[in-house]
Amino acid sequence: MPSRRFLLTVSAAWFAVGRGARAQSATGRAAAFVKATGDKLAAVVNGPGSTQQKRETLTRIIDSAVDVDGVARFCLGRFWRQASPEQQQRYTVIFHQVLVTNIAAKLGEYKGVSFTMGRAEPDGENAKVDTVVDRPNSPPTNVQWVISNPASDPKIVDVIAEGTSLRLTQRSDYAAYLSHNNNSIDALISAIQHQVEQNQASG
Amino acid sequence: MCTFFRSPPYFGRRFWLPSLLLLIMAGCATPPPASDPDALADYQQTNDPLEPTNRVFYAIDNGLDTVVMKPAAQAYEFVLPDAVRTGIHNVLGNLGTPVQLSNDILEGKPRRAGDTTMRFLINTTVGLLGFFDVAKNLGYPDHDADFGMTMAKWGVGEGPFLFLPVLGPSDPRDFAGFGVDVAAEPFLWLGQGEAILALGYSKWALNALDKRSRLLTDIDSIKKTALDPYATFRSLYRQHRQAQIEEMENDDRATVPVWFPQSAPVH
Repeated sequence: MPSRRFLLTVSAAWFAVGRGARAQSATGRAAAFVKATGDKLAAVVNGPGSTQQKRETLTRIIDSAVDVDGVARFCLGRFWRQASPEQQQRYTVIFHQVLVTNIAAKLGEYKGVSFTMGRAEPDGENAKVDTVVDRPNSPPTNVQWVISNPASDPKIVDVIAEGTSLRLTQRSDYAAYLSHNNNSIDALISAIQHQVEQNQASG
Repeated sequence: MCTFFRSPPYFGRRFWLPSLLLLIMAGCATPPPASDPDALADYQQTNDPLEPTNRVFYAIDNGLDTVVMKPAAQAYEFVLPDAVRTGIHNVLGNLGTPVQLSNDILEGKPRRAGDTTMRFLINTTVGLLGFFDVAKNLGYPDHDADFGMTMAKWGVGEGPFLFLPVLGPSDPRDFAGFGVDVAAEPFLWLGQGEAILALGYSKWALNALDKRSRLLTDIDSIKKTALDPYATFRSLYRQHRQAQIEEMENDDRATVPVWFPQSAPVH
């Protein structure tokens, strides 16, 4: 008759192994998701078509692969709670536009881009996937992708290029703007709006 | 009252004069009142008590950049083909190996010191005085090492953010590290004479052109997409330094020579 302690140890070990396996399959899925999304993006960037067409296709891919609402909330930081539901809604809409157009415009310049997959590891609830992005005439760049809900519904929540996080940088930009404009969320929204219009005008 | 002098223990005496000048010129930011804990936490996290002064220098640097450095870097990029610019970048990197090597050693990173030594030996000879980075393809990749990183390894904190005239984003630790690296530069003590001086100045000028030209598109796109470019540069600078330091600290490759029977990799 196995002792109670033995049973406990076995069940604890079983639980630990199960958890490990689950975490591994989750990071595996995150890596597969990054690979699939990266392939799609690179195919568009390196493929035929006008800049305008490419931007539209990139926008669609980014829209479905990035947790834009989550990133929007993160970037507003503590001010998200202070914003009224109406402000939150207006901000999310404009943030969506700014993020997607910025990324699409940036990727548009990456003709000839290719990437290699690195290791993937769990990062709390998320998973982190390493890649190395190669562009002609540029040194290779280490890019880390942070993926939320890797097992069930993987979405990109952050891109860390050479150690600099896109969403952290964006959040500190907004925080600085707010602190110099009486913490007015309306002022922030109209500044973002203004910036979008300006960048669209200048192409 | 400005908290600049009270808080950081890493704030050595040698900084008091330039800092005092800074303070006289523009003063400190006013911390938010204790009744607003969120704002106070933000203020402490930003750790930029000299923000008003820093912003003045940012504006000056930005103006200088627009009329001097950026056009110069654009001309540099326009005139020289890619391969030549890469070659110049490699030569400059190779000239920096003595300082890099001393920092690798001071950081206690033997494998990095080995990489740096091999890079210097291979690139100076086969790589024609460093013009071609042959060592990279032979398994000796480049890495960052400076005295700011060395001090970070020794446990010195970064301290408050500084935006310096001409030098750009920094902090007391990295600024002091920059000074030490400049003093350790062999060009400074190899000899005297106009030829050496001219070489030293050309190296500095080329270094500035090389660095700026590599950042042309990045800086433009930051200025275009940031609401507050100063704050964005501040955040990017700190994150980038943090990443460099973490990469160095995590580089714990074993020092077993290649010819020694290798132990099985642990996985």
